[in-house]
Amino acid sequence: MGFRSRHAIPDLGVGVGFRTPHVRQVLRDRPAMDWFEIISENYFAEGGIQRANLDALSGAYRVVPHGVSLSIGGTDPLDADYLARLRSLVARLGAPWCSDHLCWTGIGGVDTHDLLPLPMTRASLEHVVERCKRVQGEVGAVFALENASTYLAFRESTIPEAEFLGEIAERADCGILLDVNNVFVSAHNHGFDARAYIDAIPADRVVQMHVAGHTDRGAYLLDTHSDHVKDEVWELYRRALRRCGPTSTLVEWDELIPAWEVLSAEADRARAVRDEVLGARNPTPLAPGPASRAGGT
Amino acid sequence: MDLVGVQRFVADAVQREAPLTAGGDLAAQVEQLVAPSVRGMTPADRVEVYREQFWIRHLKSVADDFPTLTWALGGAEAFEALAREYLLARPPSTWDLQRLGAKMPAFVQEHATRGRDELACDAARLDWAFMEVFDAPDAPAFDPRVLAAMPEDAWPAARVHMHPATRAMAMGFPLLELRDALKAGSPGGDRPAPAPTHAVVWRDAACFSRSVAIEPAAYALFTRLAAGEPLGAACEAVARDTGLAEAEIGERVGAWFQEWTQRGWVSRVAV
Repeated sequence: MGFRSRHAIPDLGVGVGFRTPHVRQVLRDRPAMDWFEIISENYFAEGGIQRANLDALSGAYRVVPHGVSLSIGGTDPLDADYLARLRSLVARLGAPWCSDHLCWTGIGGVDTHDLLPLPMTRASLEHVVERCKRVQGEVGAVFALENASTYLAFRESTIPEAEFLGEIAERADCGILLDVNNVFVSAHNHGFDARAYIDAIPADRVVQMHVAGHTDRGAYLLDTHSDHVKDEVWELYRRALRRCGPTSTLVEWDELIPAWEVLSAEADRARAVRDEVLGARNPTPLAPGPASRAGGT
Repeated sequence: MDLVGVQRFVADAVQREAPLTAGGDLAAQVEQLVAPSVRGMTPADRVEVYREQFWIRHLKSVADDFPTLTWALGGAEAFEALAREYLLARPPSTWDLQRLGAKMPAFVQEHATRGRDELACDAARLDWAFMEVFDAPDAPAFDPRVLAAMPEDAWPAARVHMHPATRAMAMGFPLLELRDALKAGSPGGDRPAPAPTHAVVWRDAACFSRSVAIEPAAYALFTRLAAGEPLGAACEAVARDTGLAEAEIGERVGAWFQEWTQRGWVSRVAV
């Protein structure tokens, strides 16, 4: 039995990030949207408006947490308090999985709040595998690793990123969040073939995909999430869907955040691409529970 | 270089204030570790992408958190200079960006020049109080039936537990209305004259962070109760410290307590 079947990973359809400019409108109007992704760390607090908003959101939609600060590739010990908060959040949401990036964020007690790249070596791979096993054991849900956009490469790297990520997922028995835009950005920045990357990822481990806009800085592409998804990324998304089949997809838009209607239209476009590649289908019906979808397609 | 060595080197490089391209020795070390890009970026250029983002991200985050301090220092440029010093002296040490400014009030207080400016010190503490109450833990609302059930002779030993999302503070300047105006987009106006101000900053039932001035004696009692002193001992101490008669304190306590419970500052009362 494959990874997704073994863990009953649902296809949630197409969702968007739950971001401050849209909070009031979403909670008031409950517009049609298949699901929402939240930044995990923004909802770790035990009180306040963020927690109250999340309770309201998760009462109406399926919500999946996505982290930026786990530092799975870091060499400082994993933060037990962080893991406890993540576990609590996952349980509160009844989330089918949670995710974070294949990166490290700091060392020696300093947190850079960035997704710093790892040397793609055998030693790094072994290190991340062990930490993934521990995280997945502690959070009480499938843990998915996302490929990050990167802007530098280490001379000592010997393993192509798709192979590096795939082997970690296989050996740690965890999932993959395939960020199609990040593949495109990193392929441009490092000069590898984005299509070959998509083809090399173990398809059955992909529990979620991201699409987003990026910014051309001349000498490099920057993953800004500040614009519409580029046509080249949609094309790569089609390829990923053909390989992986129906997979929950999230449209990221975190800078220069547009009106809800614009973001929702971008999600509609992702839905149209899915339908074009896979044929029209409904997302996995939800089991009875605290979350139920408002509207949706 | 092992993984720890690589990470130490990169983390140090991205926290540098000056661009890597200006640092000859470091750029040479980067050359040994990082490959040039296929699009013509040097190894130092590539690390520079992360260094730039480190400063953009953290400077924006602390600026958002300290509007009153920014005003007290004279504007965004002066604040950024202080924030750069702060980030170099107190690098981000937690995953929680909300806590990035936790050490700012102490940093301003201890700063060689800013520490002599009481207005800046007060402003930093006030801004941080708002940050703290924003996402402090929730607590059950106070149940007034507890009071009805409590015998009068139990009151002196009663301990009043304040809601975790309340902060009492004493300042040398009247900054509460000024901060509200700054948050509403006002440029802030002239530097206020010194005036002792006692205040509570709290998160209300609708999750809005607010502040209000309170009497000095009420502040004294609030802080003693928040520190865990029994009500009777706290009232005696406040009477002693303020010169007010205990009977007068007793009369005022009833009104204060009513206000505090209505505002949600009291979480529970236990004997």
